Amino acid sequence: MDTTLPDASAPAPTNSSNLFSSNAALAGATGTEDGASKIKVTEPPKFELESYIANYKGRTRFNRLYLIGITSTVLATDALKLAIAEAQSGKDVGRYDRSVRALAEASPSEKEASLDSVWVQDIQRSVRAQTDRLEGELRGYKNNLIKESIRMGNEDLGNHYYETGDLIAASKAYSRMRDYCTTPNHVASMLFKLISVSMERNDWLGVQSYVHRLRNSSSKPEDLVKYLPKTGVALGLAQMHQRSYLEAANTFLSIDVSLGETYQDVINPNDVAVYGGLCALASMDRNELQQRVLDNNSFRNFLELEPHIRRAITFFCNSKFRLCLDILEAYRTDYLLDIHLQPHVSDLYTRIRTKSIQQYLVPFSNVTLESMATIFAPGVVGGQAQPIGLKSPFVQELIQLIKDDVLQARIDLEKGLLVSNQANLRADVQEQALESLKSFNQEVHWRLLRSSVINSQSQGSSTAADRRQRRAPDAGPGMSGDDAFASFGSTA
Amino acid sequence: MSITDDLMVASASLCKTTGLPNNKDYNHQIRNHITALRNLLSNKDLDSVARDDTLLNNFDPSQDSITYLFLLHLQIRAHREASGHDLPTDLLPSGKLWLKSEYFLRKFDPIQVRYAGHEWRQLVELVVQAAQASPRPFLAVALVRDAMLRLDPSCAVLTSTHLLLTHLSLCSKAYTCALPVLERQISHVPISTGRHFSPSLQILCAEHESSLNFLNEATGLSSKLLDRDYLRYFLYGGMIYLALKRWEKASHFFGTVISMPTVGSVSMIMVEAYKKWIMVGLLEKGKLCPPPNITAPHVVKSIQSIAKPYFNLAQAFESGDKNRLEAEVDAGQDVWRVDNNIGLVSQVLDEFARHSLMKTKKVFAALTVGELSAQTSLSNGKDDGITESKISSLIMSGAIDATLVHSQVCSNDSILRFTTASSTSPQCHEIEMQAQLQIQGRLLESLFGNMEEGNLRLGLSDEFIDNSIRGQPWAGAGAGEINPSLSGTADLEVEEDIMGDLA
Repeated sequence: MDTTLPDASAPAPTNSSNLFSSNAALAGATGTEDGASKIKVTEPPKFELESYIANYKGRTRFNRLYLIGITSTVLATDALKLAIAEAQSGKDVGRYDRSVRALAEASPSEKEASLDSVWVQDIQRSVRAQTDRLEGELRGYKNNLIKESIRMGNEDLGNHYYETGDLIAASKAYSRMRDYCTTPNHVASMLFKLISVSMERNDWLGVQSYVHRLRNSSSKPEDLVKYLPKTGVALGLAQMHQRSYLEAANTFLSIDVSLGETYQDVINPNDVAVYGGLCALASMDRNELQQRVLDNNSFRNFLELEPHIRRAITFFCNSKFRLCLDILEAYRTDYLLDIHLQPHVSDLYTRIRTKSIQQYLVPFSNVTLESMATIFAPGVVGGQAQPIGLKSPFVQELIQLIKDDVLQARIDLEKGLLVSNQANLRADVQEQALESLKSFNQEVHWRLLRSSVINSQSQGSSTAADRRQRRAPDAGPGMSGDDAFASFGSTA
Repeated sequence: MSITDDLMVASASLCKTTGLPNNKDYNHQIRNHITALRNLLSNKDLDSVARDDTLLNNFDPSQDSITYLFLLHLQIRAHREASGHDLPTDLLPSGKLWLKSEYFLRKFDPIQVRYAGHEWRQLVELVVQAAQASPRPFLAVALVRDAMLRLDPSCAVLTSTHLLLTHLSLCSKAYTCALPVLERQISHVPISTGRHFSPSLQILCAEHESSLNFLNEATGLSSKLLDRDYLRYFLYGGMIYLALKRWEKASHFFGTVISMPTVGSVSMIMVEAYKKWIMVGLLEKGKLCPPPNITAPHVVKSIQSIAKPYFNLAQAFESGDKNRLEAEVDAGQDVWRVDNNIGLVSQVLDEFARHSLMKTKKVFAALTVGELSAQTSLSNGKDDGITESKISSLIMSGAIDATLVHSQVCSNDSILRFTTASSTSPQCHEIEMQAQLQIQGRLLESLFGNMEEGNLRLGLSDEFIDNSIRGQPWAGAGAGEINPSLSGTADLEVEEDIMGDLA
């Protein structure tokens, strides 16, 4: 029993850590809540809540409902009620607590808005009992030293933690499975579990590394192919959350149709179309969009699920920027209610808009600000007295773009024109050559002087060293000739 | 008169050998001549000679530079003793001795003088002192400059005379006078000769590839230079360029000061240079330039912390916020005054207007003055008159390419239109570019030559040789080539190693 001693003391701390970490989870949740509460959506989205949430399974259902509940003012009550029901069907007290509080804030009069403390205590008690039981079992397996049992024990424990919302403990338990995996399948299933936990923890670097491990694992080739769609989704999400939109677009575009409904814990095919389409729109030029998105046979299957994305991309490729931007604007509400897209909507939209302006200017050497404004700021043209004055937001936006070197053009306020810069390549190259030559000469001169000064310093110190050496009696016979020279020199 | 005759005979014999093609003989001859002169001038009672004003007229400095120089020194010494003053009136500008010195410095033979370096340098220093004591110090600037260029047309080695010249030129405000010397790039500093070197064995009169061979402490043509002196020369040089508003050159000189190697502590001269470097960067490029990238990191850290007010000023300038800039300028008034940089700071303030107009030019092709002042913080928007007059003065001075148009629509607001096409024709621009490129190309070539020279010097330095010898013995047979006396043992060791391997 001695060997089990360290584990024997485990239950007490795990309990406390359980409490603590659920608190931490709560704190984290309130943190994201703070961040999310900045975004408030007042318009009704285009989807219907019930059918939307029916597309998902597992813990993501609650997370999505909760996000909609705290973001949308229209759907707050419905979404939070569903979220509470969802939480009560599981074992995660923290979630229940969070959603009840949010509902109490949104509409205190609802009967679900008060905490069911009996249920909470029940669940807490049963969760604690089960934690103890599972840990006891795991200890037993460890004593018996049967690898497979230990792996399964850890997995059960991890699943349990995951269900109860203790994500850190869950990922630790799953990681402990590593040493007891005997077949590639075990490794793969462990990595998938780790990926889902990391996703919920927003640990996207972790997701990325697990995906790479999964792709390089020694599973059978046919299995690897089978995993490909799911790992693609995970990788794409990770890249999108790290704002590498081009990479994310490429990843989403390469996801195979076989994904289907298999990964509803995380995503459904409609989302793939939206994420991939938006990332591509924000990061690729017209030719690339045409070749790699619209003419992409496998991604077409996804795009058919979300025809408006397809239309937006087609409009962009045909330079009908107003229509493209209108479509995107119409769906802004929907995307703001999406758990993965919400933080990126404004960034993606700005990029698409900037790219549209850039593309729009390509054929022109002079454009009237007015015609630009009708396309890129239609609301302003009707509403403001001076739609293209210096103070108008559209002109300010252009100024910012020019300052950031995105647009190679200048504004002529007298005639209301945007004049593109005429580049004189020959002169520019000459200028650059001269500039680099000058800076090179300058640095060479500095370095030359520097080395020359260092040389003179070291010479000075070395002659001093010689004088000391000369006084030393054991100077080698080879030195005497030099000495004669030196003394001759100093007397002369 | 016997002494004069003797001297005449001696120098005449030297003159005869001047045309000799054999440097060795000439070298020998001159050294003998100098010894003879020293004997002549030390043994006899020279009072009469020293007082004889016409004596020097018997000699031509371009032929008998050494004799002339020695006699001149003799006379100066005599005058000093007579007047009991370090700088007798005869030595001051337009005095008898001054005229003689001037005559000498304009005519001397640059080869002969190499053998009398100490005396030559003393004379130059005396001239500078005399000029500084007089109300017209600028008289000496051109004189010293020409003497330097006569001695060494390349002027690529830094000497103590360089330092004297820049200092004097700053003191006398004769900035352009010093330019011919400043324009010649310094590539070397004199090296105190190593133990393998003896000046008395050197053939000074020969044509040397680099003037480094005779411009050093040993010949006396330069006094010993400390690290501080290097820094001072480049600081002074930069300040001369500052006064002439040649920003690019000035920043190069200040950059040289900052990037000089240091041991341990940082010199205040570097800090001064860095302050001016920041200001010049603002004036030249309109931005805060980082120190040269070869500067030691600890130097960068400490100079930046000491020059903090300047740093803040530059950041305010970069931010484009006029009010912030003015606040920084006001806050640092004491600092600018103590550092004597008030003039620079006020120039930076003036530059700011031009700079913000340039930034506007990047964004706008045309706009009304009212919109301009709203866009930039050129003025606070209340008083357009100031802005308009300021813009017109900038246009007139050629600082920006633009035109002001009074529009018919709203008469009280004129329109500023930036012109894109440069006023010069493309051909002109091309030719100018080509010329610039050629200048820089030549500079690169000369730098390359100097670099090889520097490389050679480094290769010949005691340090390098010691180090390579120390590195060799254990490298095997290579030791034999460097030091034949060791080759026997080295071979033995190699054999032993082979035996060891076999066993």
